[in-house]
Amino acid sequence: MNRILKILVLLPAVLFLVTGLRWLVAPTGVASNFGLTLDQGVGLSSQVGDMSAFFLTLSSCLLIALISGRRSWYYPAIMLLSLTAIGRIVAWLVHDAALALDLIAPEIIVSIILLIAARRLADEA
Amino acid sequence: MNIARLRGWGLATAISFSLFTAAVQANDEAEGVSNARSTVASRPNIVFILADDLGYTDIAPYGSEISTPTLSALAEQGVRFTNYHTAANCAPARAMLLTGVDSHAAGVSNIPELLAPEQRTQPQYQGELGDNVVTVAALLEGSGYHTYMAGKWHLGASPEKRPSRRGFERTLALMDSGADNWEQRPYIPLYDRANWFADGERITLPEDFYSSRFLVDKTIEFIDSNLQDGKPFFAYVPFQAVHVPVQAPQAYIDKYRGVYDAGWDSLRLQRRAGAVELGIVPADTAMVDMSTTDDWNALDEQRQRYEAKRMAVYAGMIEAMDFHIGRLVAYLKSRGEYGNTIFIFTSDNGSEASGAADQMAFAQTIGSRQLGYDSDYDRLGLKGSFNTIGPSFASASASPLSHYKFYAGEGGMRVPLIIAGEPVRQPGELNRAFAWATDITPTILALSGTALPGERYAGRPVLPLIGRDLTPLLRGEIERVYGEGDAVGYELTGHGALFQGDYKVVVNQAPLGDGQWRLFNIVEDPGETVDLAATQPALFQRMLSRYQQYQQENGVLPLPVGYTQMRQLFFNTLHKKSGEQILIFLLTLLLLLPFYVAYRMKKDVLR
Repeated sequence: MNRILKILVLLPAVLFLVTGLRWLVAPTGVASNFGLTLDQGVGLSSQVGDMSAFFLTLSSCLLIALISGRRSWYYPAIMLLSLTAIGRIVAWLVHDAALALDLIAPEIIVSIILLIAARRLADEA
Repeated sequence: MNIARLRGWGLATAISFSLFTAAVQANDEAEGVSNARSTVASRPNIVFILADDLGYTDIAPYGSEISTPTLSALAEQGVRFTNYHTAANCAPARAMLLTGVDSHAAGVSNIPELLAPEQRTQPQYQGELGDNVVTVAALLEGSGYHTYMAGKWHLGASPEKRPSRRGFERTLALMDSGADNWEQRPYIPLYDRANWFADGERITLPEDFYSSRFLVDKTIEFIDSNLQDGKPFFAYVPFQAVHVPVQAPQAYIDKYRGVYDAGWDSLRLQRRAGAVELGIVPADTAMVDMSTTDDWNALDEQRQRYEAKRMAVYAGMIEAMDFHIGRLVAYLKSRGEYGNTIFIFTSDNGSEASGAADQMAFAQTIGSRQLGYDSDYDRLGLKGSFNTIGPSFASASASPLSHYKFYAGEGGMRVPLIIAGEPVRQPGELNRAFAWATDITPTILALSGTALPGERYAGRPVLPLIGRDLTPLLRGEIERVYGEGDAVGYELTGHGALFQGDYKVVVNQAPLGDGQWRLFNIVEDPGETVDLAATQPALFQRMLSRYQQYQQENGVLPLPVGYTQMRQLFFNTLHKKSGEQILIFLLTLLLLLPFYVAYRMKKDVLR
């Protein structure tokens, strides 16, 4: 069971790592996945900087959690993902954004997996 | 066509208008009023009757088995258009009908209930009539007409968008996409209540309400209140019939018991034969088999009985509407106004198929049960009952055409149009010229001798009308108002069409369509069965280019990613009904999350 759980954590960790790297090296290809069109100047700087930092932090936390066996590393990732999902729903409710279920659903599902991992995977340190 | 029979009404109208205009322009107030009274009296009254979701062959003059004696009588003394098209859903059609301007340009690309948030940022996607257009009612009111409306508006509910602020002198208006026909009750969870307004103020409906009867009662009341002043009137009567929920008085339902026991395939063939016999469609008209049409023979006896009753209620609702139109006609005759009244009858779009195939299935009844409805056989169509005809009978209703409401197939866009009345008497004439929803306003303006709007109206710029005056067709002076090179474009949620000459390029999106453009000759093949794209590639490409031009000129946007109508309706309903609760829950979650994480981490450290 724990082995399956670790794989379920590893998969999004790799996906987030790849997404973060794409934001750094080829943002044009990845921006459209988030409904974004790339800006210029400071706008582009913020898009690349913030988005790559978000995904690389996410993947780093998860990989550190898996490698170090310290469950506390799951929590930053859980917070990042769940707050992102909440923010998306608030954007829909308050700011007339689209309800991006295609993005919200994976964020919630991965958050739940990480919550389970944080509870079930014992500290190995 | 016998032009001598026309009684010179066109000339008389033009002369009347010239005199009227001259009278108004004169500064001698007393003399002006006197002249105006004498001249406006000769201008015809106009009754514009709009059915809701009525299919192409749903009334007897178009081949239906449903008894519609009033409409048949009007058709017998007027002109039936066999190639008239409208938008594939409600509000865009109403915007075009009442302004003569393209639905996108008028701000009503779709009904507001189906608009995505990112669409609403654009002026052409507001779901309510823009301030850049002027309604036919406003123009008629300005030219000396009394203007009345009783029925469904659905072009904006805010105070400045209500019909009482858009040119209608007296109004009774339903602001929503539909509502119950027996009581003041919403028909979908999106609405908290059925939003009815009279003269701009919210009202409560009477206890004995039935929509068709009440709307005609109010129309008669409005007309009667000013009849003595001698001014002509324009009465707009947009019925709820036969929009969902399909409901009718028991006596009308009973008349159709057993009529539909042979099922929808049989009815679709029967309607086609009826339309052929009347000359509505060519004798060799072929039909497609809609994928949403179920196998009637595969249904058990009980289900067949239930389905037949669904359609019987629908037929009863149409006949009830016809009966009440008859009451209006009788009233006008009794008041001596009938001889000076022109009737225009049409539908906002083709037949409605979005009701469930199996109306009694548990999942399908959740929404209606939430609103307190049932769909039991015995009470089907009566007060408290929710009914639709479903996609299979909707195909029969649109026979012999393909598709139905919400799609750009002929079944969604080609509907009956009758223009009749003593002033335009043309006994039983069939007109096969292409006509479009935007043509109604310029036609009414011509019939009433009212000038087209200029570049500005009431201190603001307004868009020019794109519609064509159909009165030369009524007079038999010409065979078509759109030349071979004139193109008319249309778009709704990615479904698109462009009409040019006898041809139409059309694309229908999922779930019924495949996103492929096709070319049809809709005069020879109204059923859209033979795709000519491969055999006439030059014409096909030319029309596709014209469609792209139409998109650019009218600000048609690509669909938002993942957009479907049902999904958007669900999200919009959720947003409106539960938005506040969801927001409070999320903000609570937001506050608690850091505390939860801190608690978990502290617990882990203590282990």
